[in-house]
Amino acid sequence: MSSQTLDLTGVTCPLNWVKAKLALEGLAPGDELTLMLDSGEPIDSVPRSAREDGHDVTVSGTTVTIVKRA
Amino acid sequence: MTLTDADLERYSRQLVLPEWSGAAQARLKSASAVVVGTGALGSPVLTYLAGAGVGRLGVVDDGEVELSNLPRQPLHFTPDVEVNKAVSATSKLQLMNPTIMIETFPARIEEFNAEAILAGADVVVDCSDTFATRYVVNDACCALGTPLVEGGVLGFDGLVMPIKPGESACYRCAFPTEPPEGSVPSCREAGVLGPVAGIVGSMQALEALKLLTGAVEPALDRIVQIDARNLEQTVVKTSRRPDCTACARVPAATQSG
Repeated sequence: MSSQTLDLTGVTCPLNWVKAKLALEGLAPGDELTLMLDSGEPIDSVPRSAREDGHDVTVSGTTVTIVKRA
Repeated sequence: MTLTDADLERYSRQLVLPEWSGAAQARLKSASAVVVGTGALGSPVLTYLAGAGVGRLGVVDDGEVELSNLPRQPLHFTPDVEVNKAVSATSKLQLMNPTIMIETFPARIEEFNAEAILAGADVVVDCSDTFATRYVVNDACCALGTPLVEGGVLGFDGLVMPIKPGESACYRCAFPTEPPEGSVPSCREAGVLGPVAGIVGSMQALEALKLLTGAVEPALDRIVQIDARNLEQTVVKTSRRPDCTACARVPAATQSG
């Protein structure tokens, strides 16, 4: 298992999710991706998109941890 | 092929689709499509393939823009009248997406040049306006093993058929012989309404993107018939003919896509 962190503050929707999605593509199932997001639309939308794609998502403030789905 | 930050922004609305991926977009970027004809079908097909980020586009048309083309061929504008259509289309497409490469063929596809023009394409989209050209394109794609999207429109009726030679029915499997000359009216005689061609061309572009990316399965072994009068769609299942003169002998090794 590996983990990666992506600072997406200042990146608007939907480009933040595009960048997160591409980073997830490079990870193996079970790997962890941590995202730093802006409050507002980004922290509302990105976790929802990640869940819709079937990943495990934990939100803490404006930090989102995604465990890539098997 | 690597995607740049500008690519991610340009293609963001398709990249967010659950069916799409960075890998699919990268495949598109390194892919080549040849579109035969830049008219009522070719305009939407080229627009959407260039817009979606197909890395190399071949644009084939030997005709000149005519005033009567303009109502249904949105790649051509009034000042383009009498300009070669492949040239006119190329200039618009290059403005729409300067990140792709466009090769312009101001030529008519015929038996002698078909394979030379179509070779190297990962998909061919047939937007030609005669049955003769349609059979030439189908047969050349079968010989090359190149996936093809056929399409046609006449009046309020349309037809779309994606093809993987050697794997699914080709146009000649479905329609073995060319209709005798004069038995089917041309759109010059029967007429055509722009949005009907737009529907068919949009469906052809969609199937081409499916064939290029693998993101979604193309509707192989299907003839999709559109009746634009009532917006009805009829899907006719079809299958390969073992004695098809075009595709029966396509070896599996030359299959691509």
